[in-house]
Amino acid sequence: MKTATDFIRMPSLSKTGRLLAVGLPALLLAFPLLCADRGAPRAAAPRAAVVDRTSHGSVRHVDTHVVQRPAPARPEPVRPEPARPVEVRPNVAPRTVVAPPRNVVVHRDVEADVHRAHVWDDFAFGRRLRTLPVGFLNFQVGGVPYWYDDGIYYQQATDGYQEVYPPVGAEIPEPPDGAIEIDGGGGEVYYYAGGAFYEQQADGSYAIVPTPIGVVVPELPPGAAPISINGTTAYQFNGIDYEPVFVNGVTQYQTFAQ
Amino acid sequence: MKDRKRLPLPVPVFSRLVFPLAASFLLGLAAPSVPAAGDKAAIEPRADELLKRMGDYLGQAQFFSVNAEIWQDIELSSGQRVQADRTVTLQVRRPDRLHTEVHSTRRNHELFYDGDAITLFNRAQNFYGTVHTSGPLDDAMDVASERFGIAIPLEDFIRSDPHKDFLARAVSGVDLGPVTVMGVPCEHLAFTQDNIDWQVWIQDGAAPVPKKFVITYKDEPDSPQFTAIFSNWDFTTKLPDFVFKFEPPAGAAKIKVQEIKAENQSHKTEEK
Repeated sequence: MKTATDFIRMPSLSKTGRLLAVGLPALLLAFPLLCADRGAPRAAAPRAAVVDRTSHGSVRHVDTHVVQRPAPARPEPVRPEPARPVEVRPNVAPRTVVAPPRNVVVHRDVEADVHRAHVWDDFAFGRRLRTLPVGFLNFQVGGVPYWYDDGIYYQQATDGYQEVYPPVGAEIPEPPDGAIEIDGGGGEVYYYAGGAFYEQQADGSYAIVPTPIGVVVPELPPGAAPISINGTTAYQFNGIDYEPVFVNGVTQYQTFAQ
Repeated sequence: MKDRKRLPLPVPVFSRLVFPLAASFLLGLAAPSVPAAGDKAAIEPRADELLKRMGDYLGQAQFFSVNAEIWQDIELSSGQRVQADRTVTLQVRRPDRLHTEVHSTRRNHELFYDGDAITLFNRAQNFYGTVHTSGPLDDAMDVASERFGIAIPLEDFIRSDPHKDFLARAVSGVDLGPVTVMGVPCEHLAFTQDNIDWQVWIQDGAAPVPKKFVITYKDEPDSPQFTAIFSNWDFTTKLPDFVFKFEPPAGAAKIKVQEIKAENQSHKTEEK
């Protein structure tokens, strides 16, 4: 006959012990699975610096973000209502505009010396060509015809075409290859290439806007001419002055108006 | 029923062991697996000792110069990963003199600190700019980095107490044992922080100088690395004042030095 003590102690405690004896190894085996997320690759943190922090090469200043860059994603643009009925294609996903485009240099590194030549690097105002490059675009800006290819704009000349300054208002499907993202300081994002500042439009295209004054660009427009203003060295391109200034320890150029 | 409650629980020996073990195990599960930053327990004593030896050696040196070859992972606009190269020369004289030169194919810029001002010099374009600041090197380097965004090359090795600064946010550190770097026997140390891993290879022998240094930015896409290979450590050649004093070359143009963090005004600095 079982005593009260037996009744209390034996079945429950031995059962607990057995459960733990089985459960503990099982828990130990499951532990790596439970903690699997600790070793999983982390989602990339949003990068908050125009200047790569990798440039610092410093443990102490690993989080010294030099210049805050604008948010990487922009909201879906508001599209105007179509003026006339358009064909609806239900199997086409709505376009999401995400800045910056793939061919834009996002993280401008101040120290790393990597240079990729771009067609627009070779721009020379007034240079004449008999024939246009293959793949050119043709459009009008304010009723004036222009031709465009790889960041360079052309107008017709007597014996062919000539290179001209990027016309404000010109719209192209995407920024020229190698365009550099520029923070306008007030939330604006520009894409800078060949001396032109492009801004994304509501329809996803990129239009040349008037050169913003006071922004800093990492390199001069191609063919910018040195000038002296009150004894200070500056450069001029298409009527805009660029003043050299040390930003993040290296020479960059700030636009200004005289 | 009262008696039943008063009865002592004759817990079997197995259960007496299992309960505390299980409780300890479960508590261990609940505890964070990654030690807090600066937790010495997570730094292997041997790694800590070697890092301190290097830090003391550099921090107590009154002057030194060294060259370094730097390789940095860069992502092109096409998405392709490449390495960019530059060479660095450091000349340090404590407590308040520094000259650095960064040289690459298309760039050549120097930084002078003479205890009174930091001068940046773009030799390729003959531009220079100066900001006033004073004090020991640590303070000047903080001004340069935090207020002007200037990346002092390899500043972790220039600071007055490298060991302390290196471990300020380290969460673990191990000694991976002896290896050879560029033919030189070294000890390989590896440390982790929240968002980076870093490694240093310290030369064996009486001069425990770093021969190689790698930072892995593990919170950046594709975890790019910064690698420095050191050479020509020199603790004997004296560095006179003129090394640290900038004299504008003929035709040099003075330009502004843009301050990037207006809110961080803890140091007294002004544009000259």
